[in-house]
Amino acid sequence: MAKSRFEPDQIDFVDYKDIDFLKRYLNEQGKILPRRITGVPQKFQRQLTQAVKRARHLALLPFVSDNVR
Amino acid sequence: MPKNNYELTYVINGVLNDDQIRGLVNRVTKFIDENDGHIIETDEWGTKRLAYQIRKKRNGYYVNLYFEAEGELIARLERALTLEDDILRFLTLKMDSKMLAHYHEQKESARKSALEAADVAAKKAAEEEEEDDEDEDDYDDEEDEDDDE
Repeated sequence: MAKSRFEPDQIDFVDYKDIDFLKRYLNEQGKILPRRITGVPQKFQRQLTQAVKRARHLALLPFVSDNVR
Repeated sequence: MPKNNYELTYVINGVLNDDQIRGLVNRVTKFIDENDGHIIETDEWGTKRLAYQIRKKRNGYYVNLYFEAEGELIARLERALTLEDDILRFLTLKMDSKMLAHYHEQKESARKSALEAADVAAKKAAEEEEEDDEDEDDYDDEEDEDDDE
């Protein structure tokens, strides 16, 4: 259920290349979900944010989803 | 001079034809090689759809590579990449111990899944053989008994 969707399988390093994994932590608009909702450790959230931003730079993830534009 | 591990991902303009892409990839590889860098692995993801348009382009050719080099090379490499008109985006990362561990882990799991695929075939054959072996054992016993009698 909702909890398992956010449960990180690894916390050591979040890979910016693993798009499917990162997508679990984005809403439909492509925004990063706050920790308030996902309940992940702060350490993980920081790495996640970094990874998402790297992926966005390489156009692997959108800054703004197509359905919103 | 100490060498560091780096990871570089860059996106080539998807409009280029195969020869042009090949030439560009070779140029980047050569640049690293000629400047005392040592390339560990190159992984071409191929043409992918960009998540958003870059310079009006919808597709990009992704290249991901791992190399060893002195830190001083990175500034020059990044400048060379910027000057290439057909490289839309690039990202160079210095690999710390966690990234290296992750990299090796990924390679390991990739190797394992490749091995497993081979294993499944091998195991099937082995299992069949095992069954055969058991049968043979039974036969052997019987045969032994027969011999005793």
